[in-house]
Amino acid sequence: MDRDARRGLLLISPTALYAIALLAAPLAAILLFSFWSQDFLEIDRTLTLKNYREALTEPLYRLLLWRSLLISLAVTVVTVLLAFPIAYFVSFHVRPGRKALWIFLITIPFWTSYLVRVFLWKVILGFNGVLNTSLIGIGVIDEPLTFILYNANAVVITLAHAFAPFAILPIFVALEKIDRSLLEASRDLGESAMSTFFRVTLPLAMPGVVAAVLIVFIPTIGDYVTPRLVGGPDGLMIANMIQTQFLRLNNAPLGAALAVVAMVMVSVVALAFIWLNRRWLGGDGR
Amino acid sequence: MKGRGLFFYAGIYLLFLYAPIILLPIFAFNDSTIIAFPLSGFTTGWFAELATIDALHDAVRNSLFIAVLTAIFSTLLGLCAARAATRYRFPARGGLMTLIMTPLVLPEIIVAVSLLVVMVQLLDLRLSSWTVIAAHTLICTPFCIAILNSSFQNLDASLEEAAIDLGESRFSTFRLVTLPLVMPGIIAALLISFTISLDEFIIAFFLTGSEPTLPVYIWGLLRFPQRLPAVMALGTILVALSILLLIVAEYFRRRGVARAGKEDSGGFL
Amino acid sequence: MTDGARHPIVSLRDVEKFYGSYHALRGISMDIGEGEFFSLLGPSGCGKTTLLRTIAGFEEVSSGHVLLDGQNMDGVAPNRRPTNMVFQSYAIFPHLSVAENVGFGLRRSGLAGDEKARAVDEALAMVGLAGYGARSAQALSGGQRQRVALARALILKPRVLLLDEPLSALDKKMREQMQSELRRLQRHVGITFILVTHDQEEALIMSDRIAVMFEGEIAQLATPQELYRRPVSREVADFIGVMNFLPAEIRMGSGTAVEADIAGLGPAAIDSAQCPGALRPGRAEVGLRPETMTILPEGAPGEGHVAQGVVAEQSYYGDMTYYVVRLDGVDQTVTLSMKNRIGRAVLEPGMPARVSWDPRALLVFSG
Repeated sequence: MDRDARRGLLLISPTALYAIALLAAPLAAILLFSFWSQDFLEIDRTLTLKNYREALTEPLYRLLLWRSLLISLAVTVVTVLLAFPIAYFVSFHVRPGRKALWIFLITIPFWTSYLVRVFLWKVILGFNGVLNTSLIGIGVIDEPLTFILYNANAVVITLAHAFAPFAILPIFVALEKIDRSLLEASRDLGESAMSTFFRVTLPLAMPGVVAAVLIVFIPTIGDYVTPRLVGGPDGLMIANMIQTQFLRLNNAPLGAALAVVAMVMVSVVALAFIWLNRRWLGGDGR
Repeated sequence: MKGRGLFFYAGIYLLFLYAPIILLPIFAFNDSTIIAFPLSGFTTGWFAELATIDALHDAVRNSLFIAVLTAIFSTLLGLCAARAATRYRFPARGGLMTLIMTPLVLPEIIVAVSLLVVMVQLLDLRLSSWTVIAAHTLICTPFCIAILNSSFQNLDASLEEAAIDLGESRFSTFRLVTLPLVMPGIIAALLISFTISLDEFIIAFFLTGSEPTLPVYIWGLLRFPQRLPAVMALGTILVALSILLLIVAEYFRRRGVARAGKEDSGGFL
Repeated sequence: MTDGARHPIVSLRDVEKFYGSYHALRGISMDIGEGEFFSLLGPSGCGKTTLLRTIAGFEEVSSGHVLLDGQNMDGVAPNRRPTNMVFQSYAIFPHLSVAENVGFGLRRSGLAGDEKARAVDEALAMVGLAGYGARSAQALSGGQRQRVALARALILKPRVLLLDEPLSALDKKMREQMQSELRRLQRHVGITFILVTHDQEEALIMSDRIAVMFEGEIAQLATPQELYRRPVSREVADFIGVMNFLPAEIRMGSGTAVEADIAGLGPAAIDSAQCPGALRPGRAEVGLRPETMTILPEGAPGEGHVAQGVVAEQSYYGDMTYYVVRLDGVDQTVTLSMKNRIGRAVLEPGMPARVSWDPRALLVFSG
């Protein structure tokens, strides 16, 4: 090993060891834990598949897992679809000197108190909420809308809001990297603005879209605040159950198994998405 | 034509993004315990009420303690990793960096329960502010690395070689050339990790001990309707503070870009 | 000026450099004399920058030795070597003023504050930037940054100044101006300059001696004149200036006399001294510089060696015209240059041309 390699390893070792001790090892521990079992406060360390059997057969858990997956998918689709035009607008229609300001404006709400933000969506979407009173006030509707609070829709709307900058930034970065002369070349070669977008811009922006999808989809499964505050009984997700198992029911092994199942589920979907994307576009997902 | 349609859409989208933040001060100054329209009257009473809640002050103090230490630790760890990754080639570089950056995409509840299992069930540690600091440092480090990476990448390697060539040692080169040039990135990393830690709830809820952090305390308040206006007032103060911090962070980031003589490409991440 | 008489300030002894399995420097041995303006010339990737950085100490040699002023530099860090460097990007510290940049290396010199300030002023005056000290380094133009980099390195009075493609970022006019300024500065301070460049014209103009490098090896080490007139191989001849290559058949005569039968030009008697490499009878190539040939005016008497052809291309440069002439009877062209004089017509493509050439200008490269 040469001098540079030794220096590099030495320099990264504090951070790497920290990540191994507080991330890799705990993840391994949770995996191990999911094969143990718990009876009241006693942990039984014999390896068993009991937790997995329960997680996969109990109708409530199955429902929660399935609903979490659907909500995460819906959040991802809504967030990325809403985000793309914004990223495109900032990248292509905003003066270069103003782009940083726009990105700054987009990121600000993300950095402000998460709990309070989610709670305010409850205020906005409620029966007597801001949205309903405004819509009734301007005469668009006569009766308050009820399908927008205490259900999965509310969860999707709120999470789409929470993850907006995570979707916009990677797409924006990918769009910024596109050499503008490629678009001119496409127009020069006879493509319309529309077909240039689909044949040149979109394929080149795909790496950003893929990153946005993953960075929204995977963490969404782990949120329990939004479902608890705006989801109502029909909007609860698997993370609420994991939290309950750990903190209320004292069945950490079952909670661990649910966490592992949820992670495996999103990882499989994420990998399938990456694989499909590569096959479709023939790209290497750079 | 197309640009104007997009501009209109961007306006609506910004309204969607800012809706909660715009409502927050409205209800904070509204003279009613019910958080809904129509508004009843102007009051600063909710802010005054905040001053009387001792538990809140403890939570604030506790959160500040956690956020300051998290900012320092994660920026230090981020400095090591960002410097190593941008400057040196070494075995397992990609693998180690992937592991270090994983918390960016990992659901926070996974981080929370896995640390809970290790700390409580396996190591039998008592939960305290230190367990929260450990976890927050883990999730803030990737953000610091993202910021510091671009600082180090903007730094022309021949600047450091020039200093060595002119007689400085490796250490004095770091002090005289590298540090001043990446200092804006370091300040931005400190501010960002401070902000993240101050606002983080999901992990803190699992790992906090007998002394709640501010978000954990707010979570408790959300169950008491009569406390909600005070939460709005508190939220208003927090929003104002984070916007202020962000503006300072953005200022330093831009100055760093300008200092390294680079074009601004915008954005933290 | 090919003097071993000069005291060697830089000596390289069998220097080898590997990056993994890539062989970047292959057995480099040479001496560079005190006060010499020396150039390392070669295409990109030939190892010239690696060699320069090896002398500076930024790269360790895999084997062999670098000696500076007779001292072995094995394991000596760049900050402890009597060399200073002008970087390709100039590496001007953006957070410091011009004066702080120039005085950067004086921190450990033990000079008092006002002595330092005087030294900085002198160095700035030397590079023509007197009065620029208080400016921000970022407000400088490319040429000014280059001067600051020079002043910053020269203020430390190094034994050797290393310049890594210092002019490549400048536009043509600025580059030409800096070439003569650098040369003047080097004569003035008397310090050894080692310049890395891929621009053969720049190397020819500025250097006392030039080392031409290909693929990690020194192909030829010579003065500019030698290099241009007597390149040792076809590669060097091709890299330096323009050279016409024509296939030829070589027959050995008595003594040093050699007979060459050149495609398109015909037979010529030459001397074996015109063959820089090994001389073998049989197939070979001859090289001929454009300026050694002339196009004879219409009706002028053809003395000596004259070949017939047709103008295929013409490029007008103002002071010169370059012609590509297709030689009659063979599928060969030659490029030749003519000075544009009053009364001399510029020929157009398609016009017949008689090309006069001199066998004494021929170089023979046996295959």
